[in-house]
Amino acid sequence: MRSCSWRCDCTEHDLAKDRTISRLREKLHSLLEQTKKAEPTKPLKPPLPTIYVITPTYARLVQKAELTRLSHTFLLVPQLHWIVVEDSPHRTGLVSEFLSHSGLAFTHLHVATPHERKLQEGDPSWLKPRGAEQRNEGLRWLRENIRSQEGGVIYFADDDNTYSLQLFEEMRWTQRVSVWPVGLVGGMRYERPIVEQGHVVRFHTGWRPSRPFPLDMAGFAVSLRLVLANPEARFDGDAPMGFLESSFLQSLVTMEELEPKADLCTKVLVWHTRTEKPKMKREEAMQKQGLGSDPAVEV
Amino acid sequence: MQGMTKPKSSTGDAEKTRHPRRGADCVTVDAAHHSVASEHHRPPAHYPKGSEVQREAVPGPDLREYCSSDKDIVEVVRTEYVYTRPPPWSETLPTIHVVTPTYSRPVQKAELTRLANTFLHVPNLHWVLVEDSARPTALVARLLHETGLNYTHLNVETPRNYKLRGDTRDPRIPRGTMQRNLALRWFRETLGQNATQLGVVYFADDDNTYSLELFEEMRSTQKVSVWPVAFVGGLRYESPKVNGAGKVYGWKTVFDPHRPFAIDMAGFAINLHLILAKPQAYFKLRGVKGGYQESSLLRELVTLNDLEPRAANCTKILVWHTRTEKPVLVNEGKKGFTDPNVEI
Repeated sequence: MRSCSWRCDCTEHDLAKDRTISRLREKLHSLLEQTKKAEPTKPLKPPLPTIYVITPTYARLVQKAELTRLSHTFLLVPQLHWIVVEDSPHRTGLVSEFLSHSGLAFTHLHVATPHERKLQEGDPSWLKPRGAEQRNEGLRWLRENIRSQEGGVIYFADDDNTYSLQLFEEMRWTQRVSVWPVGLVGGMRYERPIVEQGHVVRFHTGWRPSRPFPLDMAGFAVSLRLVLANPEARFDGDAPMGFLESSFLQSLVTMEELEPKADLCTKVLVWHTRTEKPKMKREEAMQKQGLGSDPAVEV
Repeated sequence: MQGMTKPKSSTGDAEKTRHPRRGADCVTVDAAHHSVASEHHRPPAHYPKGSEVQREAVPGPDLREYCSSDKDIVEVVRTEYVYTRPPPWSETLPTIHVVTPTYSRPVQKAELTRLANTFLHVPNLHWVLVEDSARPTALVARLLHETGLNYTHLNVETPRNYKLRGDTRDPRIPRGTMQRNLALRWFRETLGQNATQLGVVYFADDDNTYSLELFEEMRSTQKVSVWPVAFVGGLRYESPKVNGAGKVYGWKTVFDPHRPFAIDMAGFAINLHLILAKPQAYFKLRGVKGGYQESSLLRELVTLNDLEPRAANCTKILVWHTRTEKPVLVNEGKKGFTDPNVEI
């Protein structure tokens, strides 16, 4: 498309398109001028602490769908850095491609769960704690790459939960460890810390309330500073069922030090949703006949 | 029935923000649709170039591909956007009217929350949320209001089967049918007067997963456009069959591929004009065999030959028929362990 310079008033070449372009250029230029003029008068705001979201993920049919809808939430959160850690000996093409088109700031890591810690086919999901190695790998990357004077908070977000936007603003200014209710977990509508006079005094949970920290992975965030100050703090993959969170938190904080968020832990801003495994009986039958769907079409 | 609420004006009082990427048409040089990575999103200088792959946030497609080479036209204007607000309304883009039937159950708020977080990225989206309820509920009303989306909140209750226990709905009426039909009626009664409006109607259930690309694929629908859907029919995906001339000639499904339209609700979109031009076309309420719901409407509107294949001639998956597990609330017991006033 032919075009003229922005100073041209287009009287010399009478093309309607160029007149439109010329008019739009003028408007654009004046908007730019306005923006430049406006900027010095805006009060300088302190930079937002970055929220480092660590998401372990593994290949299965719904993986791309889960990551897709998760990314839509994260795109709406300012100053968020997504650390995706695949349970895999190498980075997969699916996740690599997905992240590069997501529009998010990200780090793509991977570490394979040792065989004996992996759930086997038919194991119930609660049998072995999952994601410990991957979350630890995320912590390792942060420890090696981020300096603590930047502030920042770390949140462990599994790829099938549901997160409200407000949750991220609640956690952003965490000093040590902040906590809040989680919906649809522990066999109940929600689990939550009980707060009295601004401090957590005990936990409302349906299962083993005597655990050091009977809360779900989605129910707390840790300041980057605290993690960097405690280089040994990590998730214990051999911890008994339900103790994974405690294995990490007990070396970092006491119950009294917890910072209650979400209206003193009375609002549910995150839900422990789980996605059904899609039924593949027909697909499997077709594949036996050599008539399965095109594997080159990525789902 | 409620009127359509206009989108809220962006207030620009929040921090400097970044508008997420858009596959927008660059012909309208609407600066608001473009964005640039702001200072906040550049990583600190000491990010190492290591074996790990990392990247700062940048806008998606390179808009320079679509526009002329003049730097000043293509140059993006920094605009103050409030995060969590939808893109500014465009006078030229066709509106996508998304019809979502919904019903009360423990995961409802979660489903609608993450759905809204997807819709907040789509320009000119009008969400028509239809509750299966006798009255609009406060939960849904509050949620819709807080999203900032352009929405219409409707409700109609599917009759309960009084022969069965209490709350079981009539199994002869497929779930969502009355709600979708109410939306169709609303379009005809509310938008019927303004014949020049450009729009597309899409039926989006509240537990599916939608890519952003899908909405741009459907926006240009002339009559009815179609595309593959993952995880339906017991397959990795079902898809229309498209011939070399770009025409749909059949259906790649195992379950009853001889249905007139062997396609899932999530696999098609309809031009609003077609809905308005055929005011008698509704989803059939009763006597519909399993899998024939979609056909019951589409056969009133188009023939196979009219269908417009999208998603690279129906070779890409842009929507997934995900289903959410019903949470086990075993520890609530008979009387309820948690405070019912805490909304989930």
